[in-house]
Amino acid sequence: MIGSIAFLSPWLLAGLATLPVLWWLLRAVPPAPGRRAFPGVRLLLGLKDPEKMPERTPWWLLLLRMLALAAAILAFSGPVLNPRPVGSSDPLLVLLDGGWGDAPGWTQRMDRVAAALDEAARDGRRVAVLAAAAPPQADGEIEWRAAPDWTERLAGLAPKSWSPDRAAWADWIDGRVGRFETLWLTDGITDGAEAHLAEALLAHGPVTLVRPRQTALALTPPRLEGGELVASALRADAEGERPVSVVALGPDPTGIERALGAADGSFASGETRVDLKIAMPMELRNRVGRVQLADGRSAAGVVLADDSVRRRKVGILSGEPGSEAQELVDPLHYLRTALEPFAEVIEAPLGEMLNTAPDVLILADVGNLGEAERSALLAWVEKGGLLVRFAGPRLAQSGAGQLEEDPLLPVRLRAGGRSIGGAMSWGAPRKLKPFPEGSPFAGLALPEDVDISSQVMAQPDPDLPARVMASLEDGTPLVTGKPVGDGRVVLFHVTASPDWSNLPLSGLFVEMLERLSQSAGGVTTETEALEGAIWTPEQVLDGFGELGPPSLVAGVPGERLAEGKPSAETPPGIYASGDRRVALNVMHDRDEIAPLASLPQGVVTETMDRPAEIRLGPWLIAAALVLLALDVFATLVVSGRLGRRFQYRGRRTAQAAVLLLSGLALGLAGQAKAQTAPGDDASALRAATQTVLAYVETGIPRVDQISAAGLRGLSKVLYDRTAIEPAEPVPVDIETDDISLYPFLYWPITDSQRPPSDAAVARINEFFRSGGMILFDTQDADLGGGGATTPNSRALQRVAARLDIPPLEPVPIDHVLTRTFYLLRDFPGRWTGSTVWVEASPGAEQVEGMPFRNLNDGVTPVVVGGNDWAAAWATSDNGAPMFPVGRGLAGENQREMALRFGINLIMYVMTGNYKSDQVHVPALLDRLGQ
Amino acid sequence: MIGPRPRGRDKPQGPVGLRRDAEKVGGALPPLLAEAEHLAASVAMGFHGRRRAGHGENFWQYRQAVPGDPRSSVDWRRSGKSDQQFIREMEWEAAQTVHFWVDDALSMDYRDSDDVRARSKSERAALLALALALLLVKAGERVSLLGTDATQPRAGRTQLNRMALALGGAPRDDRPDYGVPPADRLIRGSRAVFFSDFLGDPEAMTPVLGHAADRGVRGSFVQVLDESEETFPFDGRVIFESMGGGSEFETQRARALKSAYAERLAARRGKLEDMARHLGWRVLFHRTSASPRQALLWLYMAVGARA
Repeated sequence: MIGSIAFLSPWLLAGLATLPVLWWLLRAVPPAPGRRAFPGVRLLLGLKDPEKMPERTPWWLLLLRMLALAAAILAFSGPVLNPRPVGSSDPLLVLLDGGWGDAPGWTQRMDRVAAALDEAARDGRRVAVLAAAAPPQADGEIEWRAAPDWTERLAGLAPKSWSPDRAAWADWIDGRVGRFETLWLTDGITDGAEAHLAEALLAHGPVTLVRPRQTALALTPPRLEGGELVASALRADAEGERPVSVVALGPDPTGIERALGAADGSFASGETRVDLKIAMPMELRNRVGRVQLADGRSAAGVVLADDSVRRRKVGILSGEPGSEAQELVDPLHYLRTALEPFAEVIEAPLGEMLNTAPDVLILADVGNLGEAERSALLAWVEKGGLLVRFAGPRLAQSGAGQLEEDPLLPVRLRAGGRSIGGAMSWGAPRKLKPFPEGSPFAGLALPEDVDISSQVMAQPDPDLPARVMASLEDGTPLVTGKPVGDGRVVLFHVTASPDWSNLPLSGLFVEMLERLSQSAGGVTTETEALEGAIWTPEQVLDGFGELGPPSLVAGVPGERLAEGKPSAETPPGIYASGDRRVALNVMHDRDEIAPLASLPQGVVTETMDRPAEIRLGPWLIAAALVLLALDVFATLVVSGRLGRRFQYRGRRTAQAAVLLLSGLALGLAGQAKAQTAPGDDASALRAATQTVLAYVETGIPRVDQISAAGLRGLSKVLYDRTAIEPAEPVPVDIETDDISLYPFLYWPITDSQRPPSDAAVARINEFFRSGGMILFDTQDADLGGGGATTPNSRALQRVAARLDIPPLEPVPIDHVLTRTFYLLRDFPGRWTGSTVWVEASPGAEQVEGMPFRNLNDGVTPVVVGGNDWAAAWATSDNGAPMFPVGRGLAGENQREMALRFGINLIMYVMTGNYKSDQVHVPALLDRLGQ
Repeated sequence: MIGPRPRGRDKPQGPVGLRRDAEKVGGALPPLLAEAEHLAASVAMGFHGRRRAGHGENFWQYRQAVPGDPRSSVDWRRSGKSDQQFIREMEWEAAQTVHFWVDDALSMDYRDSDDVRARSKSERAALLALALALLLVKAGERVSLLGTDATQPRAGRTQLNRMALALGGAPRDDRPDYGVPPADRLIRGSRAVFFSDFLGDPEAMTPVLGHAADRGVRGSFVQVLDESEETFPFDGRVIFESMGGGSEFETQRARALKSAYAERLAARRGKLEDMARHLGWRVLFHRTSASPRQALLWLYMAVGARA
């Protein structure tokens, strides 16, 4: 082992000793002279050579040959860059933590495991791969297998959405016998049992611990602070600054999930927690379904929304019977208008209303309550309800709370009210005093024009000052409140209608109600609600933080759920019991994550960044072959057989080539991507004046190449068969290029596809709205089924989350796409059989006597599928197909069908629902006949 | 590339011979002839007059009658316009014989191997010869191609075809490395044009040239050389051999021989010019890389010059 290079068969290096011999031999044997027919030879006869050509091989040719031989010798001696020390012959246990902490760097982890398996295969060791997140099987044994077996199974591994149970595994390992070496790829996040597990492993043999470069981030459930959604991002290691950003996702008014808000922040050096404030309007905040980290996502980086940010249920009830009154004097009108933007408003009789478990109940000028109603209300308030009451003539006349304190009123009231600024009273209407600190209204701006002309007065009791939440300039209370049980009772000393004041007409009224309803804690605490019921998971998070349908998860008793600790039986996700739904998140409000605690002596620690072992042999062989090819060239030059044209320059060229090649052997060729100037006029003009098919660049050269070749192939077929005559297809960078000029984009989705930026999303949505179409191709034949489980489908979901995509459905049998040019039944590409999705046809109707439903005006902006169409369309430069499709004749038929789909699709892009209009043909013919 | 010489053996008669000739006419002949016609067309159109008075059909000039002119030659129409008598003279249009020799030795097959478009020397020589012959035949002269079955001087298209057949046909098998003009009988007072690279032994030409001098034949040597034969652009260790492999020369560093070669070539050309001066002939040095048009023009003027 020399430095970071080792040789598998070092004794072969002795062959290098033969190089000097070769040098001598080659020098001694000059290249053979060239023969040349030349009529002028008669003139040459008898001439003497004035100078002798050295009868030796030129130095640079010698060097070339020596290099070739040296490269070959080095190649066969098996050099390995960054070699791993040869391990013992003990079996190798590869232990993954396998929890959510592994998700952000899962690919690197898998690469590392694959490298370890390769080495084990080389050393002939048996291997077992275990993930600590899965619970150990009590009576199972370690499953030792040959390394290649495991290599095949690696693709089936995925991180789990809960933390590894290291304690259980430590106990399990203790119970096993035999020596083995352990490679432990940890997520670097403690659960308190890592030392125990390490000791258990050390008892069997050496342990190598591989730490990730960066541990995963976690996100606590968001809470509301001063009208903003605040989520705390957590990290385990407090070293250095680390930027972090979160997005809040939720359905938009059309029901499509998209990013509603985002926030950026950065961990300060030494800090493990940073609060991220997501500023968004109330209306949007109420829609938030989950909050998640923008990068490095894992199950812990996703928080499913729960009560703290949920839309409140507010019940409103008026003392006025019936709705005889005109709308503008109806107190409920003002409440309804104020509440509707941010709350779910319920209007029902009191008894029914309480059954719907509202968070807030507003009684506008309700005086007397029946005894049963009183006790039900009181019980509701004590369980955490917020009762807001508005004063009014009825309340003032009822005498409630005048003699003794009413539990449903915060203060004692004086008989009658007071009226100021009226025709019969002295003094001007009163203004509001700024809200005191500690009041839920603190910080709200006071409008100038709010006047209070009438109010009910509070008895000056000793505890009155503590209960005042807002007061007038003269110190008389306007809003008072007191806690009752877990809940609270609040009284506005004015009416909810503009009878007594113009407060209900002001924006302040809305803000006050919003503050109040947000402060309502909700009626039921989770624990009580969860217990005693069986909860079945509706949607569960996988390790990467993607919501998906549950598989093989049984119902869970509420008690288990109430523990709040996700595990294999209770994966994080959304659980339902009856019509109640609760979310189980990985992280909780005050959780922290911490790095691995001190590990026992003897554990070797590595980082994931360790450069991979690279075998240099193949490269050296290739270099030797290239050198030998050059040698052929050079020999021809030297012996003058390459023709005169090369002879003048040949020598210099060959020398330059030798030097250049030695340079290449040392350096690495950088890959420079030619950056096309975005939006330059020439390309815009080209796109505008011709029909140009475009594809989205993925940055993966092979995929882009296939896209280009595919569209070129399709363009040619279109040119041959149809009136569409497309120009050469162009690549489009979705982030920078203007796509508005292209009618059609082909977008191959790979698992490395990043969600588009805001600007790009805006551009794409504009593209959709202006009639463009994107063909999304996941190229994976929809192997996952249902479209949500392959990496490419997940990437597509990330991309599509923020796009303005209408509801989709599988292409119906009578869709226009099936008959724009050819009549098609299915849409194969290189693969076949996966479902192709288009915009769901709205209100399709079957017309009598028509073969097709009337699907007018439903031109889909997207077509989604996974049949890898570009590969089926792709032709090489000489027009031959680039990839095999299917087998034999059936395969060629499939390729033809793929091309026909392409033609239909472009026709559909160009003509929209034109073919759908054919349903009118009989009617038109009929009319023509007349 | 000179066609098989029928001399010494009989041409196949009957259908076989007819078919062979037809194939030849339909094969290599038309391109060569067409190319020659194309070339000739670019040089001169029309009749090849002698530019002096003599026996002929075309009007040349009127001149004043002098005592001794026969009365029958007076042009009365012209004379009636004035007091003097004029005689109408016609242009001299006596047919002349031009002998061609196109060297068909192996050395004429040489062409620069690096340039795909390059023509071999014999191709160029054949082209020039045929184009010149075409011009001459159009002018009413008689032409002959020495050493082939077109040796007998004749005028007319048939003779041209015969020449083209000989020049464009398959090469014969027993060609020497370097060519010598055949000892055919030359017409007295005729003209001759010899196309060759003149790289062979110059002494070998002496008998033929002596015969030509005896018969009062005037003519031109056209030395057709490839560019590489003039510039000698070789380097390295090379064994040069003649086209037939008859002679060999090995050099260690060809580049160094360049100047010596150039001297020898100049000497050879000097010798050729000396010979020409003695005979009253002219010499043209032609490179295959140069345009054939220039050479054709030169030849046309040289042949048509006043003897």
